[in-house]
Amino acid sequence: MTTAFRHIPFPPLQVFAAATAGLLTLPLLYIGFLALSADPAVWVRLWATRIPELLINTVSLAAGVSLATCVLGVSFAWLVVRFDFPGRRIWEWALVLPLAMPTYVLAYVYTFILGMGGPFPLFPPHSFAGATLVMTLDTFPFVYLLSRAAWLNLNVSFEEVARACGASRFETLWRVTLPLLRPAIVAGLALVILYVVSDFGAVSLLRYQTLTYAVYQQMTGRYDHTAAGILSLLLVVIALVFLVAERWFRRKSRFYQTAGRYRAPERKRCGPLGTLFATGYLAIVLGAAFLVPAALLVRWSLSAIVQGAVDGRFVGFIWNSTVLSGGTATCAVVIGIPLAYLAARHPSRFNLACLQAAYAGYVLPGPVAALALLVLFSHVAPFWYGSIVVLVVAYIVHFLPAGLQSLEPALQQVTPNLEQAARSLGLGMRETLQRVTLPLVRNGFIAAWVLMFLHCMKELPATLLLRPVGFDTLAIRVWLEASEEYYQLAAPSALLIVMLTLPALMLLVSKDWRATRTR
Amino acid sequence: MKMHEGVRRPDRREVRPETVFPYRGMWPILILACLVSIAGQAPSSPAADRLVVYSGRAERLIKPVLDAFQARTGIQVDLLSSGTTELVNRLQVEGERTQADVLITNDAGSLERARELGLLRPLSMPETERAIPSQFRAPDNSWVGLSGRFWIVVYNTTRVKPGDITSILDLAAPRWKEKIAIPNSGSEYLQAGVSVIKATYGDEKTKRFLQGLKANAGTQVYQKSSQIVEAVAKGEADVGLVNHYYVYRHLATQPGAPIALLMPDQYEGGMGAIMNVAGVGVVRHTRHLDGAKRLVEFLVSQAGQKMFADLNKEYPLHPEVKADPALLERKTFRAATVPLARLAELREPTVTLIEQVGLR
Repeated sequence: MTTAFRHIPFPPLQVFAAATAGLLTLPLLYIGFLALSADPAVWVRLWATRIPELLINTVSLAAGVSLATCVLGVSFAWLVVRFDFPGRRIWEWALVLPLAMPTYVLAYVYTFILGMGGPFPLFPPHSFAGATLVMTLDTFPFVYLLSRAAWLNLNVSFEEVARACGASRFETLWRVTLPLLRPAIVAGLALVILYVVSDFGAVSLLRYQTLTYAVYQQMTGRYDHTAAGILSLLLVVIALVFLVAERWFRRKSRFYQTAGRYRAPERKRCGPLGTLFATGYLAIVLGAAFLVPAALLVRWSLSAIVQGAVDGRFVGFIWNSTVLSGGTATCAVVIGIPLAYLAARHPSRFNLACLQAAYAGYVLPGPVAALALLVLFSHVAPFWYGSIVVLVVAYIVHFLPAGLQSLEPALQQVTPNLEQAARSLGLGMRETLQRVTLPLVRNGFIAAWVLMFLHCMKELPATLLLRPVGFDTLAIRVWLEASEEYYQLAAPSALLIVMLTLPALMLLVSKDWRATRTR
Repeated sequence: MKMHEGVRRPDRREVRPETVFPYRGMWPILILACLVSIAGQAPSSPAADRLVVYSGRAERLIKPVLDAFQARTGIQVDLLSSGTTELVNRLQVEGERTQADVLITNDAGSLERARELGLLRPLSMPETERAIPSQFRAPDNSWVGLSGRFWIVVYNTTRVKPGDITSILDLAAPRWKEKIAIPNSGSEYLQAGVSVIKATYGDEKTKRFLQGLKANAGTQVYQKSSQIVEAVAKGEADVGLVNHYYVYRHLATQPGAPIALLMPDQYEGGMGAIMNVAGVGVVRHTRHLDGAKRLVEFLVSQAGQKMFADLNKEYPLHPEVKADPALLERKTFRAATVPLARLAELREPTVTLIEQVGLR
């Protein structure tokens, strides 16, 4: 990038980033060690029995969900950004609601809805189709959010130029708009894919055998963790392939907004038929992803309250969940900024390597990261051992990449010119950061915080394995009840998760200043 | 829309760029707050009248018993309930730093394994020896069985006649293709059950049984036994392999469900029903030995036994305590003769066999 900047040294930041990256890689190294030191006979046996099925299942689920979320997410973004119809603003924020719904809750709701004796036994939920449906309904907002933000941020003059040069509306969309959106869409898909391959709760309820599910089974069913290590390593390799592909896509297309001034794109006003179509489409998907499940949760919760299952302990569960998730998200943002900043602005091989190292944790399935951390902590920092610190570190290792996915594009959007201008006008490094860079990327930071908060609220396997004695979170409560088939008793905790994550989502939407500009 | 009402003021960025960053100075505070709140959570030194129980038994099945103990003795009990194998793994990693005082699990093999790893403390307690017959205890009393459970066949009464199955091994027959539901290979019940079959019939026969089981189950492999019972009740499967109490538990909530329980391998010369026990052991590195012993004492007492077993519709091991009347009379069937303590040594070879066959 800019040669002027490359020569300015950043020792403290660099050291911090390197140290973080090093710590974040430790669990991965441990898993690699576990897998590679395994008896070759175990590898052979796994190849012969389990691995082909698991690989095919995992990759096809990731592919199916990506395809579906891409179609849903981009089309929703297109509808709310480029069209105007009654209720558009409500849909605009309502479409992020599924992010508040834990995947395992959605999975159960769908085993009820689609299962034998349920209201809509269209196809068996315990199948590829069922798993794809549930994961898609839960993750399309990632693609929607990022492509919507990019779309609003789009400089319409590019499209106008294309139209002026005689390109048709469709051609403009296909050859100008979508390529400009590609980095955002790909970033959203990367989030989706990483989410899918490391999900445990939904696939286990839907009995769809993926690598992560198999790893959890190995971890909880066996004393010997070699096989779990081997399967984890495969998982890491798959995810790395996706990540490298994503970076490659993004590297090929880096766009800067050169003008500071945006004009709202013309919104096309919909006629009655268009309104009906758009509303129907949005309502069906949002109903399936959020409204119907939420209504069921409310109904089940009411019957749980009637049974007297909701008592004072819930105050503790709520406190544990929120403080843990909020604290973790804050720590993770603080840790993530130097990594994302260095990689976005000084993409030296070293800085990029640091960033990639931080991504590694997302693909370490919860239980495996948990085991690695238990061993590491018991040797390195016994004082914190068995405390909440281990859990916080596990969350950061696991979810920092989700935050980085928002931090990175946010930092990439700022043109180096702005900072250079600030520097040349006499601002110091720190002042430039505070007065130019941070305000510009603030929304990315908030998005990162919210996403990590949401992930932490819903996290299951690592929490199960690492929670201190007597420290139950809402997610744990849902699981303890739901895995014993007491779904009505699980509903209040599930509903509380949804209710507690909703304000964070609201924050995400209302802070979006670009949306404010274009109204 | 309410949430967009935040746009009362003009965009600050355009008006006064110098004051735009609202969080200036807040980062250090936030970081400090994080660190303080985290450090504050470091484990405090354990009080004398507290006990930490690691339980592989579901919370709802153990908490009432622990609450009763707490009410009786004033000793506060903190419970961590999780998977059995997971807890043994955790104890092993934690070593002498563990907070745990007592381990309760649903599988004798896991308790024996914990004993072999040196995680449990041998007890000389006359109370346990009086209450629990010796075949349900570790040789050195490191662990003590509390209740008995049987791995049985649950069947859908509209589709299967009780005479169709006499042995668990019948489930491998081709006639049950796509009709059976089984637990996944990580289940301690399955591992213990297959261990008993393996000890009785040898590797070859066990392997053929597992291959048949795998083919017949197809995708009906479940994480939880309660899901298997539900699948059989709904008719998604004709028969399933579960522990006996899941059937009673399902019938308790849904009395009309078309399911029934079949005690297999009772024919002349048959292996007998596969039995396992839930049990308790005191963690070697406990700092509350007295409290832990009092808990064990309570659990083997007649009152504790009755409560512990009845909560889950299991068979109490104390000979003078009667099982829940809803259960099949214990005297009417016999159990397989493989000693419980052997479940631990049999487990790894069994798991290898299960993996060779490729059960999920």
